[in-house]
Amino acid sequence: MPSKKSLHIESSGQLCIYCGACVGICPLNCIYLDETRITFDEGVCTRCEICVKACPVGAIEIG
Amino acid sequence: MARDRTTDVLVIGAGPAGSMTAKWAAKKGARVVMLEKRQEIGSPVRCGEGMSKDWLADVGIRPGRWVNLEVEGARIYSPSEKVFEINEKQAGNEVGYVVERDEFDKQLAIDAANAGVEILLKTSAVAILKEHGRVVGAKIKQFGEPYEIRAPITIGADGFESQVGRWAGIPTNIATRDMDTCLQYRMTNVDCDVRYCDFFLGRVAPGGYVWIFPKAEGLANVGIGVQVSQVQNPADARTYLDRWIDKHPGYAKGKKIDMVGGGVSISPPLRQTVADGIMLVGDAARMIDPLTGGGIANGCIAGKICGTVAAEAAGTGDVSKEFLQRYEKGWRARLEEKLYRNWLAKEKLVTLSDETFDKLVDALAGVKLEKLNVHNILKAVHAKYPEVTKEFEAFL
Repeated sequence: MPSKKSLHIESSGQLCIYCGACVGICPLNCIYLDETRITFDEGVCTRCEICVKACPVGAIEIG
Repeated sequence: MARDRTTDVLVIGAGPAGSMTAKWAAKKGARVVMLEKRQEIGSPVRCGEGMSKDWLADVGIRPGRWVNLEVEGARIYSPSEKVFEINEKQAGNEVGYVVERDEFDKQLAIDAANAGVEILLKTSAVAILKEHGRVVGAKIKQFGEPYEIRAPITIGADGFESQVGRWAGIPTNIATRDMDTCLQYRMTNVDCDVRYCDFFLGRVAPGGYVWIFPKAEGLANVGIGVQVSQVQNPADARTYLDRWIDKHPGYAKGKKIDMVGGGVSISPPLRQTVADGIMLVGDAARMIDPLTGGGIANGCIAGKICGTVAAEAAGTGDVSKEFLQRYEKGWRARLEEKLYRNWLAKEKLVTLSDETFDKLVDALAGVKLEKLNVHNILKAVHAKYPEVTKEFEAFL
């Protein structure tokens, strides 16, 4: 099995504005917004990268 | 848990659609609890703050200090910045107010509270409760403390990033072509015109538009929506908006004092907004107008219907999805035709080249239209650029 790419959501507030765009579009509902913290479910995420495009400020990286 | 409790109607989310639903359910005699995950209703604002006004009286909202200013019309700018001006009468009162959105949301919450709704702040739903396939309330956390609220009717009014619908098994996924990623700055020291809301179309904002909604002389919300399927690089929304500002000296000299972002659905409405014991309303039900991106009016109009049906259902004890068709049919009768028409129009508009946008706006700029509708627009365009209307034959 090839290993999954790493996904990083910059949610310390340097980039992320906690707008929820990624949460709303995630087709697997695996991104969670809790006021000023964004987390995702590593096991469920398929690295489809839709959230990367949905983020208006570029706070999500997959590589 | 000791704090577990019951109510007739549980509303999750205290935005405009939630407060309106809660208010009408309470007015019709139901006991209503409304949850808000934030500590302050209406804040932080995630909105461009432009709003039409012809629908307000119908749903019982009175203008108050949430009205920031009243505009005379809208100006549509083509890529080469030809202008088509729409006055309020032509647009059927589609343009109207620039609002203080936090004040607006608070006013609707106050109206709900005055109707008897109990509001719990800093309270999130963390899961829904289901019994025999029917939703019977939610697991919540209030100030971090978990407990359950059971209710025959639960309402998902939890916005664009709605969890409630997904938990209930109602399909709410949207395609990337049916979402805009949005960013907006509040800017001071800019050359805005307080008489108009301005919209800039074309490649400056692929699949969306740049908006200028004036807040006062020299102060405006300057924002952009970009269709997610047209995003090439991360942060394109910011890149495109910054580029637009740089190219407009009246805004490039401005200073940013605030920044908000968010997702806006530009999809058709959900095929299903009810299931046993549950209804979805507002942005959670994808009721945002796919052409304008406006969601407040539709959320409030549907909220009134939703609250009324919620109280009836709780009163009769029949909370089946069959009974809740009263809501499903009610809001569709009022909103669905326009939502679909505007979604089709959006699907067409996102395919147009800058050249076509220029011709469209140029043709309209030179004529006086009594009433602004698709037929009149196409007639005017046909007179000047008959080749352009070929692309719109489906709408005639």
